Amino acid sequence: MNRTSTVIKVEGVSQAFGAEGDPRRVVALESATLDIPRGELLSLIGPSGCGKSTLLNIIGGLATPTTGRVTIDGVEVKGPSPQKVAYVFQENTLFPWRTVIDNVKLGMAFQGVSKSEREGRARESLEAVGMQDFANHFPGQLSGGMKQRVQLARALGLQTEIVLMDEPFAALDEQTRMVLGEDLSVLLARTGKTIIFVTHSLVEAVFLADRVAVLTARPGKIKKIINVEEPHPRKSNFMTSAKLGAMRNELYELLHDEIRKTMTLRAEVGGDK
Amino acid sequence: MNRKGPLMSPGIARLLVIIALLALWEVGARLYADPLFLCPPSQAVRALPHILTDPKILNAIRITVYEVLTAFVMAVICGMAIGLAVGLNGFTKQSILPVILLLYATPQATILPLFILSFGIGPAAKIAFGFSHGIFPVIVTVVAGVQNLKPSLLTAAKSMGASRWQIFTTIIFPHMIPSFFTGMRLGMTAVLLGVLLAELYVSTAGIGFFTRLFAESFSPPDLFALISVLATIAVVLNEGCRTAERRFSRWHTA
Repeated sequence: MNRTSTVIKVEGVSQAFGAEGDPRRVVALESATLDIPRGELLSLIGPSGCGKSTLLNIIGGLATPTTGRVTIDGVEVKGPSPQKVAYVFQENTLFPWRTVIDNVKLGMAFQGVSKSEREGRARESLEAVGMQDFANHFPGQLSGGMKQRVQLARALGLQTEIVLMDEPFAALDEQTRMVLGEDLSVLLARTGKTIIFVTHSLVEAVFLADRVAVLTARPGKIKKIINVEEPHPRKSNFMTSAKLGAMRNELYELLHDEIRKTMTLRAEVGGDK
Repeated sequence: MNRKGPLMSPGIARLLVIIALLALWEVGARLYADPLFLCPPSQAVRALPHILTDPKILNAIRITVYEVLTAFVMAVICGMAIGLAVGLNGFTKQSILPVILLLYATPQATILPLFILSFGIGPAAKIAFGFSHGIFPVIVTVVAGVQNLKPSLLTAAKSMGASRWQIFTTIIFPHMIPSFFTGMRLGMTAVLLGVLLAELYVSTAGIGFFTRLFAESFSPPDLFALISVLATIAVVLNEGCRTAERRFSRWHTA
């Protein structure tokens, strides 16, 4: 894996909602700069409303930054780039009227994969996430964890170099997300994809990532980037290791004040999200 | 009721209720009713063979079914087109939908004479009046079906490179299907009502014409026999819609 070349370049990206001078203007993200090398798994962690998801959406071309720019392989991002970037969302975005395998295939149809190729690729990616036996189920018949596995399979089926994951396990219970996290680590070590992973969970961030970027309270800035330096795939013994514990504590220290700040902010604006 | 053994399934209970109602009607009609106005159900049943073999009445049933189906197909096609045009766009939804709801709320029976004036006393007026009843539930349910789509599904589709046409055919359209079928069933009932109202009002053929004839000539057995035929037709049409609905929205109940 060539880790030296930068795939994603985030240059001074800011995002504000509302017009300049408007008292309700919210600066969600302030001059974020990041270089993400090929094959890296980067976690974004920070208090609620710090612009983690905003940054992810800007990189994915689902949102346009107020200032600054993002380039992928040197090309500026101006909209969704389905050939290069796949998404895994927090919410269940499977199409309920399509079976599991048809959901995976539909993603490829959108992306422009030829019809003859879809079936084989869909089966492969379902197998990769362990959902091959549920190919003909409807999403409504699956548990939350299984739905997330299918969303992951859909993203993998697109065979993009980059996968953006927006709190993919946030809606799941702790045990399910533990297992999914382990499986994900194994899976991603194999594929060598470049991944940005937004999460609220300190442990998840350390367990999965090569680097963890800590964002400050709103307006979100990148406060610190921590290197994890642990080879993939990571097994459950890393989860209980002193190294992970120490890093979790470091993140906790970094985040604690920021989280307090957002709580005060929220209290000021009347408990609004 | 907590005793739900094999002897007391909802189906059997339903049957018992129907039998009880018929028995009540039978007894009530025999004891108290003027035979010129109301007959017991047993007499209506006895009138059925005569109703079902009279070529004039069979022809009337054919005409009514033809009118209902024609009006229904037109209402579904036009209702779907208008519903999509209005529902897919926030601006038209806000500007046009209230007008449609206003028209929907207006009792259309009041303008039935206008339909007769415009379309004559033949089937055209019945089809037009049935259509004007059936189209509104279709429009309203299509608009509703298009509206409550989760925005995250659209975001996901766009992130995977879906074109506008793909978004319409693979997301908006299938999402709308269950609600559209509800609209079709409501529309079918409304079309039937519209067609029969028009037939009752002025006509020389159709089921409505004969029900009026039987009522005015004091032959309740014929009237109720014909009504039971009509009810059967309504149930068959409704069940047809429901079967199609189940087939197309298997995921919804899954």
